[in-house]
Amino acid sequence: MVIEAEENRRDFLILATGAVGVAGSAAAAWPFIRSWSPSADVLALATTEADLSALTEGQMITIPWQGKPIFILYRTAEQIAQAKEADSASLPDPEQDKDRVHKEQYLVLLALCTHLGCVPQPIGTGDFGGFLCPCHGSHYDTSGRIRKGPAPKNLPVPYYTFKDDHTIVIGKPV
Amino acid sequence: MKFLKIAQVAILAAAFIPQIAFSAGGAVKPPAQEWGFKGAFGKFDNAAVKRGAQIAIEVCMACHSFKYIQFDSLKQFGYTEAEIVALAESQGRTKKDKMISAMDDVSAQESFGIIPPDLSLMTKARKGYEDFVYGILTGYLSESETGVVDAALEDEKISKAEALELAPILHADATKIEHIKMTLDRISNGDNFNKYFPGQFFAMPMPLSDGAVEYADGTESSLKQMSHDVTTFMAWTAEPTLIERKTLGFKVLLYLVFFTILLYAVKRRIWAKAH
Amino acid sequence: MSKLMEWVDARIPVSDMIKSQATEYPTPKNLNYWWNFGSLALFMLIIMILTGLFLAMHYKPDAKQAFDVVEHIMRDVNYGWLLRYLHANGATFFFIIIYVHIFRGMYYGSYRAPREILWWIGVIIFFLMMGTGFLGYVLPWGQMSYWGAAVITNLITAVPVIGEDLVIWVWGGFSVDDATLNRFYVLHFLLPFVIFALVIVHMWALHAVHSNNPDGIDIVDEKKDTLPFHPYFTIKDLYGIGVLLIIYCWFVFFAPNAFLEPDNYIPANPMQTPAHIVPEWYFLPFYAILRSIDFLGSFSKLAGVIAMVGAILVLFVLPFLDRSPVRSFRYRPLSRSLFWIFVANSIMLGWVGYNPADATAFDGALPLIILGRTGTAIYFGYFVMLFIVTAFKIEKPLPLPKSL
Repeated sequence: MVIEAEENRRDFLILATGAVGVAGSAAAAWPFIRSWSPSADVLALATTEADLSALTEGQMITIPWQGKPIFILYRTAEQIAQAKEADSASLPDPEQDKDRVHKEQYLVLLALCTHLGCVPQPIGTGDFGGFLCPCHGSHYDTSGRIRKGPAPKNLPVPYYTFKDDHTIVIGKPV
Repeated sequence: MKFLKIAQVAILAAAFIPQIAFSAGGAVKPPAQEWGFKGAFGKFDNAAVKRGAQIAIEVCMACHSFKYIQFDSLKQFGYTEAEIVALAESQGRTKKDKMISAMDDVSAQESFGIIPPDLSLMTKARKGYEDFVYGILTGYLSESETGVVDAALEDEKISKAEALELAPILHADATKIEHIKMTLDRISNGDNFNKYFPGQFFAMPMPLSDGAVEYADGTESSLKQMSHDVTTFMAWTAEPTLIERKTLGFKVLLYLVFFTILLYAVKRRIWAKAH
Repeated sequence: MSKLMEWVDARIPVSDMIKSQATEYPTPKNLNYWWNFGSLALFMLIIMILTGLFLAMHYKPDAKQAFDVVEHIMRDVNYGWLLRYLHANGATFFFIIIYVHIFRGMYYGSYRAPREILWWIGVIIFFLMMGTGFLGYVLPWGQMSYWGAAVITNLITAVPVIGEDLVIWVWGGFSVDDATLNRFYVLHFLLPFVIFALVIVHMWALHAVHSNNPDGIDIVDEKKDTLPFHPYFTIKDLYGIGVLLIIYCWFVFFAPNAFLEPDNYIPANPMQTPAHIVPEWYFLPFYAILRSIDFLGSFSKLAGVIAMVGAILVLFVLPFLDRSPVRSFRYRPLSRSLFWIFVANSIMLGWVGYNPADATAFDGALPLIILGRTGTAIYFGYFVMLFIVTAFKIEKPLPLPKSL
């Protein structure tokens, strides 16, 4: 009886020590894993500001945001009309144009094709008056919606706000 | 037995250590100060860091930079967004910029003969650490000391009595009148004398004196107070992760001691069978 | 599970290997805690490789960026400060452990037959560790990094005839610069894996001849004299690692700069040498030996380098210098005294190496260079004396126990 109790206590002690050791080793792995996450200086670049005062009607600029290209297009009345018209067409990824812009004239897109991540060509290169992705021939319209080709989704609209009438801030501050 | 041997060796080695003398020198060790952020449980006094940042920007940054520190990061010490924007603008920068001095290297070289070093790491980069920085800031001649020096400079000769009076001020040997004379000549020549700088003369003119800044929180801006505050700020710029490090360290050590006791218990139990 | 193991074992005998070389591996039962330092060294090597690997993912070996990128690791990278302090202090603890490990081998005669090759591999590992430590210290590109690299690489110029050309080849330029930093980084990355491979050979040699023990006698009866490695020595080694971690982590978290020179937080400046440059503490005794030879005129420089390298090379012939019929110094009173003089002398040499070359002790009465020369003489004297004492049977060993 005494010996058995002794045995049990030993087993418990060894088990407990093993558990504490495993937990400690797992915790020690955390700093190594975390060291791969974006560092503070990268996070500080989470937002990008752009001045749109020089942009004229029909003109488009490409600016980098978090290392990715952003298209900002000052749409003409015709392009806006085209986009609205297509609201009622049959779309692979249905979305209303008004849900894709904050101000009707400014179209802001994360310019990476939803097929395999190439950068589409500037406005007017594709059918539907929009953007053509050169890699596999996806066509996006003047609202950045997919209309033809292998891409499954519309070009995403990044989070952005207008600081004042002509200064746009892309991205959420961290 | 073995322990005694090791102790003997250690004592033998230690016996030599105190009586060391360098032929190079002239530097006086700055006295140790109290720093709240030292020790296992030390914390930065946020109000002091905030005051120190004000001095750093209003005084130090005339010549020096803190190139690893962003204006924006001062928020954590109680600065408001508007205050930070104003501080950054006073240096011709924006809040997202690093704290880089407006003085360019060329004009610095022209005025001082040397490019003022970046201060981000200063408290870690000198022997004596924070005490050294505090020592430098407070190590210039005070008004009363300048008076003594000026009196001695009035005539060509330095009397024994003057030498005795000057010795503690200049940290010099009262019997070496030649050396004291040389030091005085350099002071009258306009060179910057500092008690704690190795060699006693260097390029930086006295940066702080009583009332050099007006503290926003109403603290009296004495030389000592300002030196202490700006040194505290510099200790933070040298290692912003200091508190994170100690907080984590406390947890890690607690765990390790507990785990090692467990391991020792298991070791005892397993080895009990072997004997 | 057992089916799977059978299948594997039929192709590669893993279970047998684990049984014979790890779990049931017979280990002398009287090993004391000084025998923990082998496993501790392996543990530190793993820590160094792991932290080094993750630091390398953030570091840039570029003379213009290196200093700033270390500060980037310290400030911006998540837990970057922890990785760097673990790595920097890890070097210190790795060397403390290796020195104890070497001294243990010297005291208990672990270099004696049939363990000569085991000992030699160990000396090679030690030599590579010193190289790796030196290369790593250059990477933060501070003032001590730069001038340490400059001074040590300048030793190459002591090589007759080709020295001047050789150092330019090592630098990849006319001074320590970008090219030097880049190749030092690559070598610093490579060498730990060479060390790791040699550690495996070291353990292979160990398992071929088996562990020595504090009595230094051979195992007579395996049943009575040995214990299976598991669980007895696995738990003892783990306990040792726990104690090591407590001390190591105390430094990492509460005094991480205790072993670092303040000057290395000043960016490298090829135009200005710090007033007092010192290598890292683990090179100090050898640095003192290097500086102690200053009385041979133009030959001093080469002689100093030869003495410093010789201080390590002499360890290779140690197995042949020791002629005693007994291994362990437990039973060799004269050798034991010599050993402790050697240890104290090594510490003293380290202290001499730490101080400036022209420093004096006792109010100028004793120039340290005298101490350095004496220490160098005692260092090499140990090996000569050990040979004399044992080869001419001056030492009368104490009676050995019959079994463990």
